[in-house]
Amino acid sequence: MKIKILYLCALFFSMIMQGQTVNVKGTVTEASSGLPLPGVNVVIKNTTKGASTDFDGNFTIEDVSLNSILVVSYLGFQTQEIKIVDDKPLSIALVEDAEALNEVVVIGYGTQTKKEVTGAVSVVSSETIEELKPTRVEQALQGQVAGVNITSTSGSPGSALTINIRGISTNGDNRPLILVDGNVIEDLSVLNPNDIESVNVLKDATAGIYGVRAANGVILIKTKTGRKNMPTTVEINAWGGVQETTRKLPTLNATEYALLANEAFAANGEALPFPDVSGLGQGTNWQDEVFERAPIYSTAVSIRGGTETQTFAYGASIFSQDGIVGGNRANFTRLNQSLNYSLDVTENLKFNAGVIWNYTNRNRLNEGGIGSVLFNAVNNAPTLPVRQNGGFSISEGLGNEVVNPLQQIQNSYNRQHVDRISGVAGLSYDFLDYFTAQVNYQFNYTEEGIRTFLPEQFYGSGKVFNIFTSQLTENENIFRDYTFDAFLKYQRSFNEVHNLSVLLGTSVFKTEGFFSGFIGFDVGNDIANASLDNTSNVESIFIGLPRNPFFDSRLLSYFTRIQYDYKGKYLFSAVLRRDGSSAFGPENKFGYFPSFSAGWVASDESFLENNSFFDFLKLRASYGILGNDRIPAFAFVSTLDGEATYVLDGTRAFGQATGRIANPEIQWEQQKTFDIGLDARFLDNKFDLTMDYYIRRTEDLLVSPQVSGLLGPSAPGASAPLVNAGVIENKGFELALGYNDYIGDDFKISARYNLTTIDNEVISVSDGVEFLVGGAFGIGQDPPARMETGFPLGYFRGFKTAGIFQNQAQVESLPTINDNVRPGDLIFVDINNDGVIDDDDRTNIGNPIPDFTMGFNLSFEYKNFDFVAYAFASIGNEIVRNYERNNPLTNRTTYYLDRWRGEGTSNSFPRVTTGANSNILFSDFYVEDGSFLRMQNITLGYSLSDKALENSKLSKVRFYAAVQNLFTLTEYQGFDPVLSSGAPIGGGIDGGGYPNPRQFLLGMNLKF
Amino acid sequence: MIKTKHIYIILAMVFIASCSDDFVDVDPPFANSADYFNSEEDYQNALIGAYDLLQTTYINVMIGEIASDNTLSGGESATDVIGIQEIDEMQHNPVNQQLRDIWGWMFSGVNRANYIMQYEDKTPFPGKENVIAQTRFLRAYYYFELVKFFGDVPLVRDRVVEFGDERDIPKAPKEDVYALIEEDLIYAANNLPLQQSETGRATKGAAQALLGKAYLYQEKYAEAADVLQEVINSGQYALLEDYSTMFENNNENNIESVFEVQYTDEEGAGFGCLQCSEGNIAVGFNGIRNYSGPVFGSGFSFNVPTQDVVDAFEDGDTRLETAILDIEAWAEETGATYAIGYKHTGYYNRKYIARQGDADIGDANLTNPNNYRAIRYADVLLMAAEALASPEVGNDSQALIYLNQVRERAFGSTANNLSVGGIGLRNAIQQERRVELVGEGHRFFDLVRTGEAANAIDGFQTGKNEVFPIPLIEIELAGNQWEQNPGY
Repeated sequence: MKIKILYLCALFFSMIMQGQTVNVKGTVTEASSGLPLPGVNVVIKNTTKGASTDFDGNFTIEDVSLNSILVVSYLGFQTQEIKIVDDKPLSIALVEDAEALNEVVVIGYGTQTKKEVTGAVSVVSSETIEELKPTRVEQALQGQVAGVNITSTSGSPGSALTINIRGISTNGDNRPLILVDGNVIEDLSVLNPNDIESVNVLKDATAGIYGVRAANGVILIKTKTGRKNMPTTVEINAWGGVQETTRKLPTLNATEYALLANEAFAANGEALPFPDVSGLGQGTNWQDEVFERAPIYSTAVSIRGGTETQTFAYGASIFSQDGIVGGNRANFTRLNQSLNYSLDVTENLKFNAGVIWNYTNRNRLNEGGIGSVLFNAVNNAPTLPVRQNGGFSISEGLGNEVVNPLQQIQNSYNRQHVDRISGVAGLSYDFLDYFTAQVNYQFNYTEEGIRTFLPEQFYGSGKVFNIFTSQLTENENIFRDYTFDAFLKYQRSFNEVHNLSVLLGTSVFKTEGFFSGFIGFDVGNDIANASLDNTSNVESIFIGLPRNPFFDSRLLSYFTRIQYDYKGKYLFSAVLRRDGSSAFGPENKFGYFPSFSAGWVASDESFLENNSFFDFLKLRASYGILGNDRIPAFAFVSTLDGEATYVLDGTRAFGQATGRIANPEIQWEQQKTFDIGLDARFLDNKFDLTMDYYIRRTEDLLVSPQVSGLLGPSAPGASAPLVNAGVIENKGFELALGYNDYIGDDFKISARYNLTTIDNEVISVSDGVEFLVGGAFGIGQDPPARMETGFPLGYFRGFKTAGIFQNQAQVESLPTINDNVRPGDLIFVDINNDGVIDDDDRTNIGNPIPDFTMGFNLSFEYKNFDFVAYAFASIGNEIVRNYERNNPLTNRTTYYLDRWRGEGTSNSFPRVTTGANSNILFSDFYVEDGSFLRMQNITLGYSLSDKALENSKLSKVRFYAAVQNLFTLTEYQGFDPVLSSGAPIGGGIDGGGYPNPRQFLLGMNLKF
Repeated sequence: MIKTKHIYIILAMVFIASCSDDFVDVDPPFANSADYFNSEEDYQNALIGAYDLLQTTYINVMIGEIASDNTLSGGESATDVIGIQEIDEMQHNPVNQQLRDIWGWMFSGVNRANYIMQYEDKTPFPGKENVIAQTRFLRAYYYFELVKFFGDVPLVRDRVVEFGDERDIPKAPKEDVYALIEEDLIYAANNLPLQQSETGRATKGAAQALLGKAYLYQEKYAEAADVLQEVINSGQYALLEDYSTMFENNNENNIESVFEVQYTDEEGAGFGCLQCSEGNIAVGFNGIRNYSGPVFGSGFSFNVPTQDVVDAFEDGDTRLETAILDIEAWAEETGATYAIGYKHTGYYNRKYIARQGDADIGDANLTNPNNYRAIRYADVLLMAAEALASPEVGNDSQALIYLNQVRERAFGSTANNLSVGGIGLRNAIQQERRVELVGEGHRFFDLVRTGEAANAIDGFQTGKNEVFPIPLIEIELAGNQWEQNPGY
């Protein structure tokens, strides 16, 4: 009540004061040189009234109320506020901004300024996010932050992205911990990128404050809030556009295809499949048929404001994207609303609360592997028409997985929808001068529904996708979690030189999930009527288990952090966290995770104080032991969740059997991480540089090695135990260089470059286990990727080739893998020189980990125009081409036109034949250089001048045009070199993945 | 000031209330396997788990034919399931996924049976002998498969192999393996009823028949003859009058079935977990490639019969058209269409190819419901005849009676009855086994144990190919303590 009255009084008082007005005149100069500054923005606070300085730095504003506040701002300078007390001319000297150093960095249970930070922390600001217009937050990190690599298995709408921080440090789950305003939100598809204020990436031991969850790095996202005394501001950001594929594979046309098929059959002495190729012409280009132009749009509104004691922010958005394959059968839609509120209850008691509601819906096709729509578009015969005999054409004789891709799209009804509500609430209380106590509560509640409908469908005899009985699966899963943090801070300066800050806290985290689902057959044959109510043949998808599965996973933590600095020049920080996790057995439930860091601001030393080069120079180092607890729960016991189903009396009988084999000694992976780095600004703050060198050694790696069959790991529903065994080391160098400058009065330039190198090596796998395998190549072949001591994680193992056998004499002179080898076949190299080609000759033929990645940003502002260009690159990774079915009658890409047809015709592409041959065995013939450079974003914007807006309520109107994913420079032949499953073992294998679309966008920002 | 105090108290409470360490002690969502067998239901549930692995023997059955002179590998191409292709060519080596599947699946079965045996005495209940007897039958069934395929194998008895134990389990001589098989089956035969309340469970007859087979494989002819004749004389079984109905879905668990592996089409399945399927995967794999037409369903054209086995049928043998489908003639007759697969012979293994009329739940190739007739009464008769006709027993006349019972049904009359003795009789019995049981997975092992494999199978190397290699990786994963089988 008291507050309200005070507020009203204040309001009243200010209204009286507004009675008197004056004309304000003044001159603005640059403090360091005394030269006048033209183009400086001078406005009356909380109004749209204002002016710009002229060439001599002069300005005039008429009818200004006394006691109002003049805000003087200019890019690159510190903003000044001046109270108008009379009409005397003002002389204002603006000081150059060292703002970047005062930028706030979120470091977990607190913040620091960039100047104070002693760890490797990178920040992506809301401006960057605004520029990049990512459809998901993760995309804003791609190439923006040194050491952060973003990959995705698919470019289809709504598909997940994988974030790796400083390389792949485990063969298991590499996802970093992601906290949004302290709340664990790991599915970032639910966030509207517009709501984000900043993304802070903790890359080194700084993350140690999160203990057992820190080993993969920590990403702290802060959402936008209002500011105190902020007039209510409404912002509207809307954009939309059209998307298309960046590439189609060059496949053979009908005539080329038929001739090649004839050649293959003839080579094996078989009858020609196409005795008459005349009139076949071009045939059907299936890729032309499946790719389409698809719409995308986003609209977001935010309202923010604040009073003396309260702030609020409200956001609402809608985003929708169709697929470039499948259109709305691959649509992703997100609706989102959020609300933030804060209140200073008293001067020392502060309250804040926020809530985010989300709804997402994702439709999806079969994508990214054998049998996917694009796989079929590449492999289906061009001689077939799209439609035939009143229906889709049938792909007979092309292998059991190759079907008509358009029919496949038509029959796709897969839908996942997620409703989610997330909330935060916190209280902070300052007491006894130096203490602050804070409690925060965060929660998420998610309902996920997945509905998969398979109508009856026939693609040709023997096709694996044929459905003879319609089928509907409905899953309903519920997840909920909460985090409760309580901590106490003590912050004090002694003698104005010793600054001490101590944090002591506890955190409790609990997450639960409940799964249920039903499957029904004969449910009706069109999507409108299909329902589980239509059939009595319905059962739980978990029918064999004694109950529906659920999980309950918990974490109990205590932590402390001590930070000390002397005059802001020598900085120290130490962290200790004790974590207890329900994931581990009784013997290893609790662990301690220490980390340390130190920094030295060399530029504050007297010997550097007067140098003309450095404006700022800091050296820093950190070391810590972090944990990774992302393992399946209850791996320390063997539980009865295996499959035990047999048939008695003609129907299924359900029993019980063990699932995963137990390892009672299981514990978290432990990572020892070391970082040394420097931050510098130089040449009048025009340049900034950050460099880091790091070594991350992950020990006690959780591997699920192949184990002896005697243990029964291959029984239905069983699996191998998890074992703490392997060691992986990642070493690398990171560099981020920025340049900001003004050229003349109207031209601002900013350029940023970052570089990351990764050197990944598996130091050991497991006692007595030399390697683990993963991934898949072709059909029925051994897994091509390995985790093996002395090699990069997930390297590709196959035969090395040395050209093509040109004649029979050559075949006879070299060892061959079997007796079927003929001239025209690939020459496999006898690596171990033992005179035979066998499994021992398979060797390292590439790996999916790039040697280095880079990002490059360039932006200009000239008068009312702004321009941004942004590219990223990945160099030195390999990709396995696995989108070819290699069946005698499936289509091929045009490189087969250069195949071997006789001695001397080709030494790189093997002959075609229907006969037995070893050319399809995994070899370096299928491994390509996956390096690329992608021009990810180009935006040109135009903002209306202040003059144009003078008589409107609008404070900002900007229009822009953007192209996302304009072009990619690469030698890779497949659709999209950026695609890779983040799988540590088996990543980098391309089964014809859904490419990232090129997008042409038009947009508008309004602010009033 | 009072307000401030309140807040202090609240904060203090918050700190104190934050949890104690037992917050992170959570019970697993499913029962701990070390705390089970507390009721009869628990035993029954675990027993179903032990039965489950019988369904994985589809691959054993396929390889028993493909490795022999009865059928060829087939499939799509020379690289379609490489492990099977290599076995057909007798080029298999210690790296072979299908052999590893057999190794892993059969030991999984052993392990699940041993799980029950480990806790045999934990909780008493009436009728427990029946449960234990079924358990021991299953353990014997799995070990018999292992000893057939691999010879000497590690022997584990009455305990679950825990992680780490596998390094201390030596390979046992096959005599020891057979000793356990015999012991288990004798116990089972003594404790199982002639008929079970539920179809599909092992019976006394099944245990005796399997015991007789195990004896026969060890050339213990007298014991084999005795126990097999007990089955014959039990009155439980008879030859089905109409051989042509034997393998149809509507004639499962018929009078001739001594033991069947049960399958159903009630549940879907995928290639990601073949062992999880409740259907008979061999049926889809054996099925007619890209077939479209009446009666049959489509499949992957594996396990295609050779001209040699077709020619092995005598004129007038009615079993031929039940056992072998001449696809070219059938297509001509019915207008059906099909595709030509790898090593196409023109014939299909008609007993176990996909038929129409099942639920066709996806993947329809993996969910065919046809039961595998593991031990048929005809097989029992022929095994008994073989034991009786051995020089050791020398009861040729009784052997002839059993042999001719089988032949009378085949030819529909006594006109083709044989009356030979000695070596001629023994050869006639093997010839009869071949045509009676073609496509049922016995041929390769019959050829091996009678010493005929090298004559009959191209590329068969005596002293090597009698058994299959132990998967190399399994040797490594068990700490390199086992010697590889000779020749590999």
